[in-house]
Amino acid sequence: MKTRALTAAMIVLSACCLKGVAFPQNTASTQRATTGARSAAQQAKEGERRFQANCGRCHNAPESISPREAKAVLQHMRVRAMLSAEDEQLILKFLAP
Amino acid sequence: MSLSKNICGIGLLFLCSASALFGQSDTPILSGAVQFLGTSNAGAHFYQPVIVPVLAVPLGDHFFIESRAEIQGFIARDNGTTGPYSGQFIATFDYAQLDYIANSHLTISAGRFLTPFNIYNERYNAPWIRNLPDAAITFPIGTRTSGSSNGAMLRGVAVARKKFEVNYTAYFSALTTVENLGSGRAAGGRAGIFFPEKGFEIGASYQRFLQNGNSNASGFYAVWQPPSVPLDIRSEFANSPSGRGYWLESAYRFAKDRRNTSGIGRLQAVARMQQFFAGTPQAGDSLPTADTNRFDCGLNYYLPHEVRLTGSYGRQFSSLGNANIWNFQITYRFLFPAWPGGSR
Repeated sequence: MKTRALTAAMIVLSACCLKGVAFPQNTASTQRATTGARSAAQQAKEGERRFQANCGRCHNAPESISPREAKAVLQHMRVRAMLSAEDEQLILKFLAP
Repeated sequence: MSLSKNICGIGLLFLCSASALFGQSDTPILSGAVQFLGTSNAGAHFYQPVIVPVLAVPLGDHFFIESRAEIQGFIARDNGTTGPYSGQFIATFDYAQLDYIANSHLTISAGRFLTPFNIYNERYNAPWIRNLPDAAITFPIGTRTSGSSNGAMLRGVAVARKKFEVNYTAYFSALTTVENLGSGRAAGGRAGIFFPEKGFEIGASYQRFLQNGNSNASGFYAVWQPPSVPLDIRSEFANSPSGRGYWLESAYRFAKDRRNTSGIGRLQAVARMQQFFAGTPQAGDSLPTADTNRFDCGLNYYLPHEVRLTGSYGRQFSSLGNANIWNFQITYRFLFPAWPGGSR
């Protein structure tokens, strides 16, 4: 009986500890997700700017590019339009977010 | 036993994930355009159905294979303006090259590639890009014999700053007389400086043609695309023993910005003027043998689903005879993975 009570007390204590730790973790992960989403949006916007400055000098943006097609398209443009690796990554965020 | 099973399971899962990731990112694509062009040139009517497939195959992060072919039909009356229509089809390889992307400053290409003289051939000659159906008169200068070279090329951005970039291209081409894969023996290069914030680029090209007695060709180009206005201004000057000339083209999209997809925002007006001063004709230079002036104007309408309609009118003035040139063209641009699979 004493052992059961001790076990129950340990479970409750562990749950409380976990809850106490988990709350800040959730908050931190939510903040990270929000920052990540904002960062992704900023990168996509910068990618669009670089698309217009480089690729957009010759042609319009394609209506859609699937993620499967994106790498081949971007490597093709990297050679044709002499894009930097950074340009390639940012334009990828714009074309296939 | 159980632990080893788990490790094996995790390992298989990891390999499958890596394989799926690799397969996803390295999927080859088949792109290009299908086009139909109807032309009336000085009273002679002809029709040109064209298919231009582009195959692009990424091989990891540094190697890349790309190829573009052109299957073109030419249907015209046997005697120019009279007689029954008959047609012929020609297939050519514009480029088939292996690229090694060493870094942002250097890409090494080997195989068959578009001759990088000025900017028209490399940037604006693709059917889904060119604003007007007819190529510039000076196009053959610096791109003999076929617009393509067989050999090796170095290219990249030598200096990249926020306010400007210096780009370059240098190449050597061997003489090839294989049908539909022809090229001249030549060496040359191009260098340009681009100001991204202004949308302005200026550059120069040089080619040493190393056959038929050797000759030099040189050229200059300027491109301006104001960031706040959907206006493109492009221009080239080219000089060779066969002649010299320039073209100046402007295109305006009736929209506040380039992404506008309203009814009127899909419309683009284009105008181009050209002057060519004939020199000493050389075999196979495909240039006019008399001074020629030409003005073209046209409208492009960008329909949804990558379809474009083009109508243009040109007037050519030459001592060999003036001519009116009418063109109507429909172009469909396609892009899809080269093998089946999900979109993601």
